[in-house]
Amino acid sequence: MEMIERYIYAVTQKLPQSQREDIAVELRGLIEDMLEDRSEKGRYSGSDIEEVLLELGNPKELADKYRSTKKYLIGPELFDSYVYILKVVFSVLGISIGVGFLIQVVLNPVNILDHFIDMIVSSVTAFPMAFGWTTFGFAMGELAGNVKRKDLQFEGEWKPANLPPIPVEQSRIKRRDAVASIVFYAFFIVLFSFSSDYLGIWVFHDGFSGVVPFLNDQKYATYFVFIILILSIGILNECVKLAFGKWTYKLVLYTTLSNTISMIVLLFMLSGADFWNPTFMNELVEANVVTAGSDAYHTVDWIWNQAPLWIIILLLINIVWNSIDGFIRARKNKK
Amino acid sequence: MKDAHEHLDKLMQELRRGTITIGVLSQLSEPQYGYSLVTMLGKNGIRVEPGTLYPLLRRLEKQGLLDSKWDTNEARPRKYYLLSKTGKEVFELLVGEWKNIVNSLNHVIEDKGDDVDGND
Repeated sequence: MEMIERYIYAVTQKLPQSQREDIAVELRGLIEDMLEDRSEKGRYSGSDIEEVLLELGNPKELADKYRSTKKYLIGPELFDSYVYILKVVFSVLGISIGVGFLIQVVLNPVNILDHFIDMIVSSVTAFPMAFGWTTFGFAMGELAGNVKRKDLQFEGEWKPANLPPIPVEQSRIKRRDAVASIVFYAFFIVLFSFSSDYLGIWVFHDGFSGVVPFLNDQKYATYFVFIILILSIGILNECVKLAFGKWTYKLVLYTTLSNTISMIVLLFMLSGADFWNPTFMNELVEANVVTAGSDAYHTVDWIWNQAPLWIIILLLINIVWNSIDGFIRARKNKK
Repeated sequence: MKDAHEHLDKLMQELRRGTITIGVLSQLSEPQYGYSLVTMLGKNGIRVEPGTLYPLLRRLEKQGLLDSKWDTNEARPRKYYLLSKTGKEVFELLVGEWKNIVNSLNHVIEDKGDDVDGND
């Protein structure tokens, strides 16, 4: 008897809560009827039970029949592009991590074990992160697509006249562009998760003698999270774009919103004094790149102080331009 | 290469899927519970697995073709299904359509070769 209960449980646990009780009672009745049918009054053996359950078939399949609709995180329409993008992201990550490791070994062969551990650590963090964000992006696309499908049903009967026009060439989202951007983001994720040590001015005196870093080493761990977050949002955006397939006002709205969020995070970071290496100029002098008090020193100092402002302005122009560009492309479609 | 029987099995599955509905509706002018339907249909040569019938009954009920009622007076509670008003109408129409299909198909299958007039 226990096996019957197990069977019923296996079927009903895969069904919506509201139907479980009802279907369970009905199934129990059915199984008892079937057992009665194949044995003398009220006496049946374990093998009878097994036979009956076999006839009813795999509980998973029975539950599928009760459910009849299938639910997807990423449906068959998007699945191929999803796998394609995952492959691209993973190969970029793999190659960049490998190359990063090689560079470190060439520059500093003594600490090869540390570099190796670094490589493992970045692999363990970067791959799941890339996987997660890519999946999330496509799942959002799937969700948007489902909502759209429901909207169409709501509009009533389908007519050939309702067919959406083929997107104008300029408004289509090209897979190659999106992939290039994803590669770009993935590369920077690797770069930043590897170490900020090499992000700076490389000093060569009879060969490589060190780096004067741009960023503040002490605070890097805090900022690292935000940097990765921003880059991940970038990858997510590209995935959503791919899922949409063409520029629409909704997509423009979405990208503008997410870019603005990234921008706000960036502004917080870049304008914080402790984000940048506070002793950058002193270190440059110590490394014999410039001499204190010279004209060159003042020029570099000026550039160093102005740079954050210019970076912010460039980024602002970039997101404004992206939104305008997307808007123009989406509008071309409406004509 | 699949042999003929494998192909046949697949095609029969598709064919049954639609016809079972007609069979089920035909038996439900009187209330019946699931397993009694399996037996009744079986006696008439329509083999249907309970695992197919039970979900089908629920679907038809959800579509409004069947009404259902739990009977808890017997030894075990049973859910009885009965044609609803719409169900009756649908069934009559369906039977008409079915006869048309049978006629047309018989026509196509048996009269092959001698092409009769092209207009129907």
